Amino acid sequence: MTDAKALINVVIDGRDIRVPQSTTVYHAAKQAGIEIPIFCYHDRMPPLGACRMCLVKVEKMGRLQTSCTLEAADGMVVSTTAPDVHAGQEAMLEYLLVNHPLDCPICDKGGECPLQDQAFRWGPGRSRFVEVKRDFAKPVSLGPVLVLDRERCILCWRCVRFGEIIAGDDALKGFERGFASEINTPFTLPVQSKFIGNTIAICPVGALTAKSYRFIARPWDNRAVSSVCTFCGVGCAVHLDVRGNTITRVRAREQPAVNDIWLCDLGFYGQAYVGRDDRLRRPLVRRDGALVETSWDEAVDVVARQIRTAGGRAGLLGGGRGTNEDAYVLGRFFRTAAGSNHIDHRVDLGPHTASAAVPWGMTMPIADLAAADVIVLAGCDLTEEYPVLWLRIKQAVDRGATIIAITPKRLEIGRFIVHHLVHRYGVGAEVLAALIGGRTGRRRIGQTPGGVPDDALEAASAALMSASRPAVLVGRLALDAPDGVAAVDALLEVCRRLGTSLNVMRGKGNEFGAALAGMLPDHAPGYRRLEEGRGDLESAWGEPVAGAPGLSAPDMLAAAARGDLSLLYVVGADPATAVPDRRRWTAARAALPFLVVQDAFLTETAQAADVVFPALVIAEKSGTVSNVEGRIQRVEAAVQGPGEARNDWEIISLLSERLGRPLAYSGWEEIFDEMRRMIPGLEIDHRITARPPHDGFDARGPTPEARVAPVAGDYPLTLIIGDALFDRGAMTARSPTIADLAGEPWVLLHPDDAAAAGIADGDAVVVESAGASVALRSRVSDAVRRGDVFVPRGFDATPVNKLTDGDPRVMVRIRALAAVAGSTGGT
Amino acid sequence: MAESFLLKYVHDPGQAGLEGYLSRGGYEGLRRALRMAPAEVTEEVDKSGLRGRGGAGFATGRKWKFIPPDPGVIKYLVVNADEGEPGTFKDRTLLEGDPHRLIEGIAIGSYAIGAHQAFIYLRREFHRARRLLERALAQAYDARFLGRNIQDSGFDLEVVLATGAGAYIAGEETALLESLEGRRAMPRLKPPFYPAVKGLYMQPTALNNVETLCHVAWILARGADWYRQQGPPILISISGHVAAPGVYELPLGTTIRAAIDAAGGMRGGRPFKACFPGGSSSAILSPAYLDTPMDYDALAKLDVPGSMLGSAALIVMDEATCMVEIVARTVEFYRDESCGKCTPCREGTIWLSQVFDRILHGTGRGDDLDLLAGVARGMMGTCFCPLGESVPPSLNASLRFFRHEYEHHIRTGACDVRAVA
Repeated sequence: MTDAKALINVVIDGRDIRVPQSTTVYHAAKQAGIEIPIFCYHDRMPPLGACRMCLVKVEKMGRLQTSCTLEAADGMVVSTTAPDVHAGQEAMLEYLLVNHPLDCPICDKGGECPLQDQAFRWGPGRSRFVEVKRDFAKPVSLGPVLVLDRERCILCWRCVRFGEIIAGDDALKGFERGFASEINTPFTLPVQSKFIGNTIAICPVGALTAKSYRFIARPWDNRAVSSVCTFCGVGCAVHLDVRGNTITRVRAREQPAVNDIWLCDLGFYGQAYVGRDDRLRRPLVRRDGALVETSWDEAVDVVARQIRTAGGRAGLLGGGRGTNEDAYVLGRFFRTAAGSNHIDHRVDLGPHTASAAVPWGMTMPIADLAAADVIVLAGCDLTEEYPVLWLRIKQAVDRGATIIAITPKRLEIGRFIVHHLVHRYGVGAEVLAALIGGRTGRRRIGQTPGGVPDDALEAASAALMSASRPAVLVGRLALDAPDGVAAVDALLEVCRRLGTSLNVMRGKGNEFGAALAGMLPDHAPGYRRLEEGRGDLESAWGEPVAGAPGLSAPDMLAAAARGDLSLLYVVGADPATAVPDRRRWTAARAALPFLVVQDAFLTETAQAADVVFPALVIAEKSGTVSNVEGRIQRVEAAVQGPGEARNDWEIISLLSERLGRPLAYSGWEEIFDEMRRMIPGLEIDHRITARPPHDGFDARGPTPEARVAPVAGDYPLTLIIGDALFDRGAMTARSPTIADLAGEPWVLLHPDDAAAAGIADGDAVVVESAGASVALRSRVSDAVRRGDVFVPRGFDATPVNKLTDGDPRVMVRIRALAAVAGSTGGT
Repeated sequence: MAESFLLKYVHDPGQAGLEGYLSRGGYEGLRRALRMAPAEVTEEVDKSGLRGRGGAGFATGRKWKFIPPDPGVIKYLVVNADEGEPGTFKDRTLLEGDPHRLIEGIAIGSYAIGAHQAFIYLRREFHRARRLLERALAQAYDARFLGRNIQDSGFDLEVVLATGAGAYIAGEETALLESLEGRRAMPRLKPPFYPAVKGLYMQPTALNNVETLCHVAWILARGADWYRQQGPPILISISGHVAAPGVYELPLGTTIRAAIDAAGGMRGGRPFKACFPGGSSSAILSPAYLDTPMDYDALAKLDVPGSMLGSAALIVMDEATCMVEIVARTVEFYRDESCGKCTPCREGTIWLSQVFDRILHGTGRGDDLDLLAGVARGMMGTCFCPLGESVPPSLNASLRFFRHEYEHHIRTGACDVRAVA
């Protein structure tokens, strides 16, 4: 495929054009700047030839040809302007318009509508149609996001093909036939897709619109601001469309290296939280037990005094939601003015997990995923955690790549996974070891690690070893599992044998920027170990920096609980709901003399703070961010923040000034320049990644044997906590579309376990561990193995971290909440 | 006069069963084919001059030669038994009267192209044919004319009987494959999806009509030379205002007039007014064309665009027929059967049918005839597949030969034809 194709000559409208073989006439014309109108063709999908709009005349060919489907041949002579071409195009537009409602003045698409534009440019101008137009009930709701207007639909099939070809979720299909054809969802259920916003973007008319944007703005009202989505770690480039000081909608911004032209629905519809009324507007201080609004002056004064008295016994948690510049200034301030290396952006880190032992992020570029021939997903729930990466891997699948997944839960993309080894939670490492032939002496023929059959293992193993362009991804379901360290050890061996390096799919938002900027207890900016980088930091900053690594996030909580920490400074994070073990947070908070929170909302953590600073969110910030592959991208402030909210780095500047050590930056550019001097290679759109994990990976962590202790009796089920793309966190609960998509918090359990507990699908249930319980909605499915239950994190009102007790293996039981077993709840 | 063979036994009781079929020389063609090399079988069919009887009239032997001979490539044979062209009912006659003949043809064709799996895509409404075919297939398996090591030849063949879901478009070969694979029946893009190259499940596939494969069984049983001497014959479905509508086996090249005579002449001796020579997709012909031979070339060469032999469905109309209503009904058929994929077919058919509705309801306008011709013109040469392109021929021919009937409808709001009759 990499062979340079032979060039051929075609003549289009009298112009000689040289194009590579197998170029379509449409593309050849486009290359020469000759416009041919199209509707159904979309350049990210193969030609379809359905709309018949792109007609051209080709010498020696009897009938008109569709230029999107016709390959240019050497010597071909094409006309795009012949009278019969015009007649054909006029006829197609007339056909499309006869049953189109022409309600452009009230249509969201009006002003950016290909049908409108092309009718204007190529259409007949007047209609011969005197009959009654096609009449459909409208609008039709197709789920929390999508609204369908069937009268406007011109049946270009783009949305249907997006689901079939790009996303692989078959979200929309064609129903009925002929003039009665319409688009709908399979079984007319609400749309099942994580990518449906893209269909609105590629709809050439106003047939598909977003509930969140209907009648909100005309295209010309909007000002498009370049930014980056920082929900998950993919870092998709977006345009934030702004009217006045309101973000009206989010669109994908073409970024070939990251998201191409696509987004997931979290990216499309997750920004509504920005403009919410309950944003923090002024600083808060605790006075007589309550948080009350105060001036910046007073709040800064109080915090500065506490930092001074803490004398190095201060910790900094968070920083993964801001810009790289925010993170850098936070780190610089803490290492110098606060005199502490207790800095960690990994708020949700478990104390003895593999997540603590490996640097986060991908070592390979995102774009290379599409060229991989074997893709290993170890404990990586791709579509829930890094959804847009799936679109790349789907391309690889279409080119014949094999996916091998080793997960404790069957993935949504299961039908594209050739070797799907779904195992009991806590034995993934054993499966991985078996995969590379590292069978332990304990295992005998016929035994099945984690319930995975021998022949499935062997087939997967053979596929794995045949890889020539492998991509090995490990995710949180493996990293945070009880046997995560052993799993990583096995995966590093896989990588060594395949000559590749491990991609650690861990971290959200701008956590990669936080790590790059040095928000780690043992790392200086630029992923340098602190002891190596310390000298440079001191000479750059002109101040002493402590040499000993600081405490990690879990160690900070432990220290706080012991009374060894005087102050905790939390930035853009909600440890109360995010830490793996809620009891540790509660104990830490109780023993902690002073808590500062810097956030956009009064989160659960902020409610317990002594001082709260109102912070801006990413859509209000200018600067740079980094994504999971380490790519540095620019964000521009789209809207002004509420009240007196400020940039994180600006708040730190106020504090440091009050402490007599001014960090007087004029803007993000100056900070970025300072970072560039310190971090070689730091440039916009360049990648800076951590060293691959196999450099110095410490496998001496807790061994699986030590922890796998089957507990029967009162708590017979193993709890798996994982991610759901749509949840109800601080931001997502405030974005109505996402909160709708997320629905109620839920628990996934095997039909056998459900039957044993008298639970039906959709029942209200209680999941209990030894000492805590949460109320959830049941989802009965064999996507998990018998004995395992899966609960998503990220539902702040029902924090699943209540159930954990510090051990990575949590045992629970489940019972129906309703008195009548087997009822489907619904009250 | 050549002997009749295609229809010879279809009405005999017992012919649909294996015993009856074998007693009349059944499966001799297959036995002979299995003694030949596959390429020789294809050659024999090619030599016979057999052209596909589904409507397009493509040479069957040549079609098979497009299938790559490489035994490493999985190939399929698919039978198009989705007979749905208005006026066509010959395949149904064969399916119900002589199902083993089809199975024999399938086995011969599969052997010739090296397919080990064949599919019969049967029209949903053919319930009787389905029952008979199911029984015949079971008998053929039991008697080892299908299955593993057929007649100890070493050749294996599995035949799968599948039914459609009631869409006319599924008779279009690539739409048939989509439907057979479990998707909505919509035609595929050609190129690259020529069935012989990328057919069923993207594998090279020979798609043949029921009648075609029945011819094949006879050709292998009696030899190509014998077959050529027979005319060769074709089955013509004759319907409409003739005395004895039905399927007739006549030599290719029989004139329209002779075909009507074969069907007992015009009903009640009324004068002939018009006919569709090749199903509703062909143009309408006026009495001036009665002596046209019904063969591929003669019909196609007429000065009436869209005239063709097609599936040889001769629909005969006498002078009591309102041509506006006939064409309106034809347009309605295509309106309802358009798959909706491409713009001109989907929108053109509904628009035309709306205009016809108006004319027939007495609210036609003076410029409606130009409008009809204009909408039809926009559909010609622009549709994705032949379905949409099947509408303009009969419409244009009727506007040419029977324009006065349209004008009368528009002028008076009533029909003058039935009044006369």
